[in-house]
Amino acid sequence: MSRRRRKGHAEHIEPDLPITPMLDMSFQLLAFFIMTFKPSPTEGQLAMQLPPPEQGGGAAMPDPFGDKPAKFIVRVSTNASGQIARMTLKEEGSASPPTDLGADLSRYMNALKQVLQQQDRGAKLTLELEGRLLQEYVVSLMDHALRAGFKDISPILASGGD
Amino acid sequence: MSHGNLDRGEPNFTPLLDLVLQLIMFFMLSANFVMEQTAVEIRLPESIAAKAVEKTAESVFFLNINKEGRVILTPDQWEGDIHTLDNAIQVENYLKRRASEERRRRKVPPDAPLETVLILRVDRETEFRKTFEIMNACRRVGYDRVQLRAILHGTLD
Repeated sequence: MSRRRRKGHAEHIEPDLPITPMLDMSFQLLAFFIMTFKPSPTEGQLAMQLPPPEQGGGAAMPDPFGDKPAKFIVRVSTNASGQIARMTLKEEGSASPPTDLGADLSRYMNALKQVLQQQDRGAKLTLELEGRLLQEYVVSLMDHALRAGFKDISPILASGGD
Repeated sequence: MSHGNLDRGEPNFTPLLDLVLQLIMFFMLSANFVMEQTAVEIRLPESIAAKAVEKTAESVFFLNINKEGRVILTPDQWEGDIHTLDNAIQVENYLKRRASEERRRRKVPPDAPLETVLILRVDRETEFRKTFEIMNACRRVGYDRVQLRAILHGTLD
C-alpha cells in the first residue's frame, strides 16, 4: 500500500508493511513450537573395556616386576528380581579372603576408594556380574566405580552365575 | 506518522516481531537436536559419572537394546526389511556387514581396526546376560571402542 504525501514535491512513496498479519502468524508458529516442545534428557557415556576373548576369572599371571596395574574383582550376586543381593571385593591373586560389601553401593564405593588409595601403579576393576542383573544396576556399579577413581572397568559375566 | 496537525500514535511492532522470531528460531533449533539414531522406547538408566558426548569421535554408531535384549534398528539403520536383531548372532552378522562397508569406505585392509565408536543404549530393565552377548558380538567383529549410554543425573559430588 502506498500513498502520496504532498503535491508539488518529488513523488515520495512510503512503503507501509502490514506487520499485524505477520505477527499473528509468528504467534501461531510460536504457540505450535511451544506446545510441541519436548526437551530430551541429556545423555552421556560410560567408558568401559570389552570382555577379553576368554572371559572369566582364570588364574592370575604373577607379575615378577610389580609394574602391572593391580586388578580387583567385584563379584555381584543378584536376587530373583535382578537387583544386587551381595557384593564381594578381592584383589586378583591375593590369598586373603574376599571382603563382603553386602548390597550397599556406598560401602562398595568407599571400599574401592580405599583400595585405590593404596595403589601407586593404577588399578583395573573387573565386575563379575550374574546374568540376571538388570542394566540399571550394571550402570550404577560402573558409575560408583568411576566416581571412586577407577578408569579401567570391565564388566563380565560371572562364570556359572545366572 | 502525522496527518496535518493530528498526531496518531502507532505501536511499534518491530521489536516484538524480532523477539517472536528469535523465540521461533530457538524452538525450531531445539526440535532438531533430537538424535536420529535413538529409539524412543528405550528407558535409559541414570548416571552421575557419565560424560557428555564427545565430538572427537569420527564416527558413532548407536545400538538400541530393549528390555527383551533385542536390538531395535532406527530407520537409517534398516537393511531392507530387517528392523530388529533378535539375538547376538544376528547382531554379529549385521555388524560384520557394517564393518566391511566401513573398511571398504576407508580403503583399509579387512583386518584393520575399526574407528567407529559403538554406543549401546540399553534399557534399564535389560538383563546383563543379553547385553553381554551383544558386547561379545561387537568384540568378535572388531569394534573395541564400546560405551554404555546413560541419562546424566545431577553433578559430581
